[in-house]
Amino acid sequence: MTSPAEADTEVVQARRPQPRRGVSLRDAGPPIALVVVFGVFAALSPGFRTLSNVQNVLDAAAVLAVVTIGISFVLMMGSIDLSAPGIMGASAITVALLVANNRNDNDLGFVGIAVAVLLAAGLGCLSGLALVLLKVPSFMATLGVSAVGLGLATLLFAGVQPNIADPMLEGWAVERFLGLAHLTWIALGCVLLGWLVQRYSRLGRYAFAIGGAEEVLALSGVRVAPYKVAVFTLAGAFYGLAGVMVTSQLSAGLVQAGRGYDFSAITAAVVGGTLLTGGRGGILHSTVGVLLVTVLTNGLVQVGVSPYWQGGVQGLIVVAAVAAAVIPQRRRNQVTK
Amino acid sequence: MTTNLQTGPVPGGRTAPPALEVRGLVKHYPGVKALDGVDLVVHQNEVLGLAGENGAGKSTLLKALVGLVRPDAGEIWVRGERVRLRSVVDAANHGLGMVFQEQSLVPNLTAAENIVLGSEGPGVRRGIYHWRTMRRLAQEQLDKIGSHIDPLARTDSLSFADRQMVEIAKVLRIEERTSHPPVIILDEPTSVLESKEIETLFTQVRRLREFASVVFVSHRLDEVLDVCDRVAVLRGGRSVGEVPAAGAAPAELHRMMIGSTGSDDHYHDGLAERSEEPGRPRLVVRGLSGRTFRDVDLEVRAGEIVGIVGVHGSGREDLCRALFGAEATTAGEVQLDGERLDLSGTRAACAAGIGYVPAERKTEGMVGPMSVADNMTLTKQQARCSGPLVRPRKQATLVDTWIERLSIRTPHRGTAIQRLSGGNQQKVVLARWLVSGDVRLLLLDHPTRGLDIGARSEVYRLMRELAGSGVATVLLADSLEEAIGMSDRIVVMSDGRATTEIAAPSGGKPTPLDLVKEMV
Amino acid sequence: MSTPVLAQPASDAPVVARPTVGQRLTSFMPVIALVVLLAALTVVDPGFFTLSSLTAAVRTAAPLVVLAAGATVVVLCGGIDLSIAALCSLATVFFALWLPDLGGLTTLAIVAVAGAIGALQGVAHVLLRIPSFIVTLGGMSIFSAIALVISDAGPIPVSDRGTTHWLTLYVAGVLPMAFVVALVVVAVVSLVLRLTPVGSWVRAIGYSESAARLAGSPVDLVKVGAFTLSGACAGLAAVMLVSRNFSGSPTMADNLLLPAVAAIVVGGTAITGGHGSLWRSLAGALVVTLLRVGLPIVGVPSAYEQILYGAIIVAAVALTLDRSKVLIIK
Repeated sequence: MTSPAEADTEVVQARRPQPRRGVSLRDAGPPIALVVVFGVFAALSPGFRTLSNVQNVLDAAAVLAVVTIGISFVLMMGSIDLSAPGIMGASAITVALLVANNRNDNDLGFVGIAVAVLLAAGLGCLSGLALVLLKVPSFMATLGVSAVGLGLATLLFAGVQPNIADPMLEGWAVERFLGLAHLTWIALGCVLLGWLVQRYSRLGRYAFAIGGAEEVLALSGVRVAPYKVAVFTLAGAFYGLAGVMVTSQLSAGLVQAGRGYDFSAITAAVVGGTLLTGGRGGILHSTVGVLLVTVLTNGLVQVGVSPYWQGGVQGLIVVAAVAAAVIPQRRRNQVTK
Repeated sequence: MTTNLQTGPVPGGRTAPPALEVRGLVKHYPGVKALDGVDLVVHQNEVLGLAGENGAGKSTLLKALVGLVRPDAGEIWVRGERVRLRSVVDAANHGLGMVFQEQSLVPNLTAAENIVLGSEGPGVRRGIYHWRTMRRLAQEQLDKIGSHIDPLARTDSLSFADRQMVEIAKVLRIEERTSHPPVIILDEPTSVLESKEIETLFTQVRRLREFASVVFVSHRLDEVLDVCDRVAVLRGGRSVGEVPAAGAAPAELHRMMIGSTGSDDHYHDGLAERSEEPGRPRLVVRGLSGRTFRDVDLEVRAGEIVGIVGVHGSGREDLCRALFGAEATTAGEVQLDGERLDLSGTRAACAAGIGYVPAERKTEGMVGPMSVADNMTLTKQQARCSGPLVRPRKQATLVDTWIERLSIRTPHRGTAIQRLSGGNQQKVVLARWLVSGDVRLLLLDHPTRGLDIGARSEVYRLMRELAGSGVATVLLADSLEEAIGMSDRIVVMSDGRATTEIAAPSGGKPTPLDLVKEMV
Repeated sequence: MSTPVLAQPASDAPVVARPTVGQRLTSFMPVIALVVLLAALTVVDPGFFTLSSLTAAVRTAAPLVVLAAGATVVVLCGGIDLSIAALCSLATVFFALWLPDLGGLTTLAIVAVAGAIGALQGVAHVLLRIPSFIVTLGGMSIFSAIALVISDAGPIPVSDRGTTHWLTLYVAGVLPMAFVVALVVVAVVSLVLRLTPVGSWVRAIGYSESAARLAGSPVDLVKVGAFTLSGACAGLAAVMLVSRNFSGSPTMADNLLLPAVAAIVVGGTAITGGHGSLWRSLAGALVVTLLRVGLPIVGVPSAYEQILYGAIIVAAVALTLDRSKVLIIK
């Protein structure tokens, strides 16, 4: 018995017209919307179109960007993650207590930050384990983990707010490089890292594939459970970093450091073109979504809308964006839970 | 069936242990014996056709061969060595791979990733992708089958035929795991292909034979005979024989598939009681169009059973659902007993006296954890209520009556329906439309799927009796024989259109081949 | 219609299966948990098992019971309502703002408006086919925003206490009126589910929405109804909160979301839909309340409360989940 060596020698390597590889209209929509929204606010408000405000927008987007990158990997799998507020709270308090602060004599600097991020990754891992081992749907598992994180934060908080005195961490928020705060550069680094993970790592590609057709992966002999846990862990680490960033902005560790970020991040990801059913979207989509959400909130404030409306506007656009994605595919006897 | 390892001559004149041998494979499902001692031999460099009716056990056998189903008894031998297959990976390690009927590709990955999925080898080092290596690996696979697909194209941007090539290329990756020639199983590969694409596929199959063994499953006998060296036939979970493809006639195969001519007697139970006079037109469909069907005209008379036949993708299932309001329509009009039918939703259809039995009984037909009684009265709630309130006594009487009338075997009316056998479940689902006695049109989508012979004949008898009482029935049958046996008239659908209508009165039934000619 | 009579009996025997130990245990879980908790707390602090502290406990539990009861119907339909707490907060603000103008009608108006807002979410869910947790997550955000804007982000005192005075009364001197109202809500909704076809529809939708639709059940209507009830219950809970706190505030009920979800799942209602009841949520809400008041008694800092909620939500969902239904858990 011989192997297929001679099976195919005479076939001429003719290239047929290339099938679609690049950008579709669906992918182009959010960037166009970003430009349009930016243009409208620039026309409406003189305060909006200043260079310093553009800096403001980018700086304001930093924390949300990091959270959104984390959640994007989870959404790509078709799961959902509501644990950002709890994990960010836990990491914010942890880092505030580990770097130089007014509560204790710790001065761990970078190590403190690393510990906070690791703790956050551990909490994320917990969500993943609850999902794959206990088979608890992710929205419930992460709701639970968020509560655990908030509880941890409250325990560590112990009634006295830890104000940080670490010059490096404080500097992240105020010192600028090329006109942008260090936090913004960190966020940009995270975008790059996230993109690389999504494009070049098995973890990122499998997360994408899990959202596309999980059962096929199993059929092909891929064990998806470890990848799911890894994705939630990775997301947790990003939330942890975001918690550290909030602590840097506030110069203090707060239990509520992550309040509302879960929803804002889902909004940003969905607006950027990530489908909640998974398998579509990605880090760059989400980054555009983050900018879109931030420009919108900033612009509304600039034109005189109460900042309290921020959450409301996000609520409306997320419902609209999800509906826009779902409506073309809806069928009569479709199940929506 | 021989169990001799050194089986006969192989095409090419060499003698070797068979590439794959199955001995006495048995698999039970609750209420059904899917495999009842199947024997099968696949020689090296041979294309073996596998033919059989729906429910003959083909798909269970294939699943057992790639480790998706664990048989209750029997043995699988690969190249003279007994193997136990626990997973697809196990099967691949032994050189067995399957091209699935519903394609098993991840749509949002590139073709290259799909081809190497799960066995990336040097394509992924320490969790990091090497796209160039990946592409090269995939290209090697595609070259084996002479396909010119761009390996970096997203899979969902490829045509169905191209995706099938990707799938074959993917299955051929199992060569990397064994030093032996693989056995490739193709499950109904032609069902959605156009004739030109089928030709390409056949070329591929002949090319595969050069270095692999192939099991080719199809319900189109002409195809099977065209591309295979030998054809094995399954019926009722048993191997009933095999013939060399050369010189065999489809009719001969067909007789083996459906068994002795007497076996379809059960279709005719109760036939005599039926009046031959056609009733008035009950359902009149004019120019109905929807997502997967176009411009369909259809007429069903009271007391008539009309079978709709067609291959996968003919649109008959969606047409059926559209008549029940469960699928959107874009044009056309439907009348029931001369009145315009409201197609806006299932509720309107129920109110108009239409009943629907979906093909997916477990997920769409019944609510598994709910009781027999509640399932039976789910639609016609007024039958168990007085005013707005449920009367448990009224419900009990009604349900018990129907349990008795249809001889539904259940410990109690309060038993969860999921604990009943398939046939009894289906009778409860049917009873749902009968309890209030106002059903005028029944739409039956594969009403006997997954049922054993006894349960089937009961469903057939019930259908006859309902027709006899004046109910119009649209039947999407499980097999051509069922359609022919049960229907008074058969409508052939192809590509979303109703193309032909064939009368099938008792005494003047068409043959399955007559229908097949019209279907393709 | 003739009467088909089939003489031949079915050839296949029914497959009989008994409930597993796990299923039996989970079906009694809320009651067992309640008894164990009560016993444990009494052992630790014999002073706990007195009329006055039990009365205080059920009085605290009342708004939670009402919130959980409404959302239970949504969960029974297979959905989830994450907006109940935010809607409840918004309703307290509405109450404080409208009381001077509407007087005695305020309570009715609040329940009606909250119900209408819930219905709106239901309509968005069924018409736009958006998953319920996204609609209600969006709703949560929107309601919080509205509450913040109209209250100017601060509490609004309620000076006219006469309107809500009845809720602070005690029936027979011991049973708080608020808790009696909560019991009435649970009883009435349970009776409607039991005595009318609605109960069948809700369970069918929860277990298998497509089977329910193909059986001609009014799926969309029932779902909108469930969200309406959930909203109305959030409104009623708001009135209870105002009667206790004498003010409306845009964040007053926000911390009730987790306890309410916990109450539902601890009660044993499956998050996958179909299986469960309002009585279970009542027991679940009492368990959650006992945990909350009991922690300080056994000497655990109240900061552990949140961790406990998280853990019991995950554990209870894991125990009650209908795994046969979801092959792939996302």
